Amino acid sequence: MDQQGDWARWLREAQAGNRRSYEAVLRAALPWLRGMARRRFPWADAAEAEDIVQDTLLALHRNLHLYDPARPAAPFLLGILKLRGADRRRAQARHHLRTTPLDDVPVTSSSLATKETQEVSIDVGRISSAVGALPPREREILEMLKLREMSLAETSAATGMSVGALKVATFRAIRRLRAKLGVNDEE
Amino acid sequence: MRSEELIASLAQDLRGVRPLPSPARLLATWLGVTVPVLAAITLIMGPRPDLAGKCGEAGFLISEGLGVVTALVSAYAAFCAGRPDQPGWKLWLPMLAMLAWLGEFGRQCAVLGVQDAGGMLRLTLDPMCVPGIAIAGVIPAGFIVMLLRRSATFRRDHACLCGALAAAAAAEVALRLFHGSVNIVTLLLWQMGSVILFTALGWFASSTILSHAVRAPRRRQEAG
Repeated sequence: MDQQGDWARWLREAQAGNRRSYEAVLRAALPWLRGMARRRFPWADAAEAEDIVQDTLLALHRNLHLYDPARPAAPFLLGILKLRGADRRRAQARHHLRTTPLDDVPVTSSSLATKETQEVSIDVGRISSAVGALPPREREILEMLKLREMSLAETSAATGMSVGALKVATFRAIRRLRAKLGVNDEE
Repeated sequence: MRSEELIASLAQDLRGVRPLPSPARLLATWLGVTVPVLAAITLIMGPRPDLAGKCGEAGFLISEGLGVVTALVSAYAAFCAGRPDQPGWKLWLPMLAMLAWLGEFGRQCAVLGVQDAGGMLRLTLDPMCVPGIAIAGVIPAGFIVMLLRRSATFRRDHACLCGALAAAAAAEVALRLFHGSVNIVTLLLWQMGSVILFTALGWFASSTILSHAVRAPRRRQEAG
């Protein structure tokens, strides 16, 4: 209980821009969020539960202003976790509707065969159009880090963004790309 | 990316933020604009001639009171919907208030139907209700969308539905002060029909506006 009182204080200080308090509350809440994710979403495997926790952290980051400093922090974090978990489950259900199980088709079936060049051109086309639809800043960052294989320091120097901001922007760009490719509907 | 690395990145990326006012304070702000606007519209349109007499009728007062309760509860629920730590039961209260409001009109219809053997239940055309609700509701609806824009990340559709219902209910309460219906069935169908129509359109429009409003600052932040 005392520990969660610290969380509320740290969140208040984070709202004022204190990075150390922000990191402290996120690190302190991480094991608790992981436990809650496992308990609340028994359908999720370990990787899925970790994704829900990361979604929760990102949603908290974007919505720090919604925290009411007069209220305890744990229900706020748990509320975000529940909403993000529910979003992910809905996205999975939608994704499931668009997929067709092929378990009963033998892997050697000729109906599954496509020309190698055909698959490559389809994939390249899909990825190019998904990358093209990203915001210009994210496109530029992905191009530097993933295509030209520049280091974080080089990209930081080229874009004027901090290494931390670059990591967050890359993370978001990849999530957005995955969503556009239909791998994951979550943002 | 591991969660520990994500935390380090997020901490690096932190900017100070101004906490959003509480739902009760946002409700007070909304009322601070909505009540004077509706009072002004009532004065401009001219209060209905039989208003003084109506204020002595229990049925009129009860239905107006339930309209006010629906508007207040709906606006409060709209401001709560975007807060992850607000309990779900608060978000469903507007539906109860709306049902009680509609139920009261239904009760009055049933009573009048029995007393007057159906004479008061003849439906007449009253198309003035639709523009009346629209004129009275547009400013409260626009203002509530403005107040909701910072909390529209979570449960946006629910917030928009409650916000549109709040504006429609407030407009209906004001409408009955400057526009009377011939009988209770006409009122139930035309005025409450207009409330439902306004709520549905307001829900769609506000959800569209807020989904763009939430994306826009993020895009600016990412581009910068």
